[in-house]
Amino acid sequence: MPTVQIKDEERIGTQARIKLEPSAYMRKLYETGTPDLGWMSDHGEWGMRAKPGNLGLRLKDIGIGSYGIIPDHGAEHRSMAPRGSSIPSDVPSLDFTVNDKAECWADNVMELYEEAVARQWSSARDIPWDELKPLPDDLERAMCQLCTFLTEVEFIAADAPTRWMSRINHDFLEVKLFLATQAMDEARHTDVFRKRALANGGGLGKASPISELSLKRILDAPSFSAQTGRLHLLGEGFVLTMFRQGEFIAQGRVDQEIFRRCMQDESRHVGYGTMHLRTQLKSRPELADEIHAELDDAEHILLQTFSVPELVEPMAILMGGGVDHFDKGLEIQSQLWRRIISEYLQRCDAAGLDRRPRCLLPPDFSKLIEA
Amino acid sequence: MPAFPEVAWFLSLGRLMAAEAELFRRLGYAEVSFAIRFLADDGETTEAATGVEISGYAMSRAVDFDETDGFDPDFVICGRRSVWLRMLDEIARGGRPELRHTLSSLALIGEELWLESTDQLREDKFYRFNQTLQELFNLAAKMPQ
Repeated sequence: MPTVQIKDEERIGTQARIKLEPSAYMRKLYETGTPDLGWMSDHGEWGMRAKPGNLGLRLKDIGIGSYGIIPDHGAEHRSMAPRGSSIPSDVPSLDFTVNDKAECWADNVMELYEEAVARQWSSARDIPWDELKPLPDDLERAMCQLCTFLTEVEFIAADAPTRWMSRINHDFLEVKLFLATQAMDEARHTDVFRKRALANGGGLGKASPISELSLKRILDAPSFSAQTGRLHLLGEGFVLTMFRQGEFIAQGRVDQEIFRRCMQDESRHVGYGTMHLRTQLKSRPELADEIHAELDDAEHILLQTFSVPELVEPMAILMGGGVDHFDKGLEIQSQLWRRIISEYLQRCDAAGLDRRPRCLLPPDFSKLIEA
Repeated sequence: MPAFPEVAWFLSLGRLMAAEAELFRRLGYAEVSFAIRFLADDGETTEAATGVEISGYAMSRAVDFDETDGFDPDFVICGRRSVWLRMLDEIARGGRPELRHTLSSLALIGEELWLESTDQLREDKFYRFNQTLQELFNLAAKMPQ
């Protein structure tokens, strides 16, 4: 076998600060040439033969034997040693702080992870950018402003949960895997709306202090579940509806494809959040007060967000088909508002949270003006 | 020829889906069951209803949908005859429905198409797999007329 040439090999290690001492094992191996092989009899449950289903070998397919048991409490060693492996007693702790299953788990998390991996898409490849056609000035400005809002807010759903990812006990790795896909989804949403704003003669519009405040509050949430209430249940639920609206208001295939694909991604995030809160509230019903308090504030900020021209007007212009049809657009928006509230409250129901009595969001859009 | 929304019509669509497996593989797998309720233009009388199940990249089942027969769809897409036929006519002519006449757009306001489900999380599969559902319906353009 030819020797690999390494540039300046003679300089390697000439200024090293730590003296390399071969381990006792390496010394013995060098001296005797006999492998240890002790690791061959030091392992987790053996003899596993996970069978792929019709969609390949998915996480649920390897949930067999002891490997299929998700513990209620994460391991005390707090390391990334894989659940089910043989774990030495001296693994260093990574100081995980989310150590109970109920604090992060959702019963659909494995399904959503595999679905997310299977349904990834590329904003460069899968959007038919060459079909983009010039729009009337008012519609392009409205679309660019909407894209500015979306590219501003979307990445919070990557930044915020991934802050917690490193704190989640690694015995709940399926949750981390799903959150990683969510981060990838949000990266794509952030890029696709930025690309759309810059692709058709417009550019980015006006950023929003109230949107930034809502993002800050999500980042500042005191627990993962509290953050999930704000982010997945309310925030992403609303953005999901905006994506559905986006598909409706699209003036061409480019916008339609963008919004439809983002809608698919977002609904997975909402599905995880809803099911996680169900798990958490079933385990610790007393946490409902904390989630309610988060939603009180989040709904209040949401109402303020939907009360500024740079968010209300672009959507109404796009819904109506132009500035001249602003009233019509606002009327459609008000029809949609009831659906938004209805779906949000139904997701709260599904999470086990009776939100109706405390909900600040009026079912009647006109009440936003009266309020 | 079978007519929408007969079971045989969906089975033909399922064969087209199998023939276009690469398109659906690229979209990613879907695991969703739904029913189509085809209403008279009065919006109340059900003229026909068909249940459809997609498993992976293929249609695994199409059955007459009767709420008592055990087929338990994630959601039911309801619409008047004129709305369904307009969408299918547009697909036949252009390969896809006109803007604002996609499944999602028609169901957005809830007047032209609307969804029925007892569980919001199951209803949300309409959004999670929407691209697959729309591409499935778009294959109607290749159905023999």
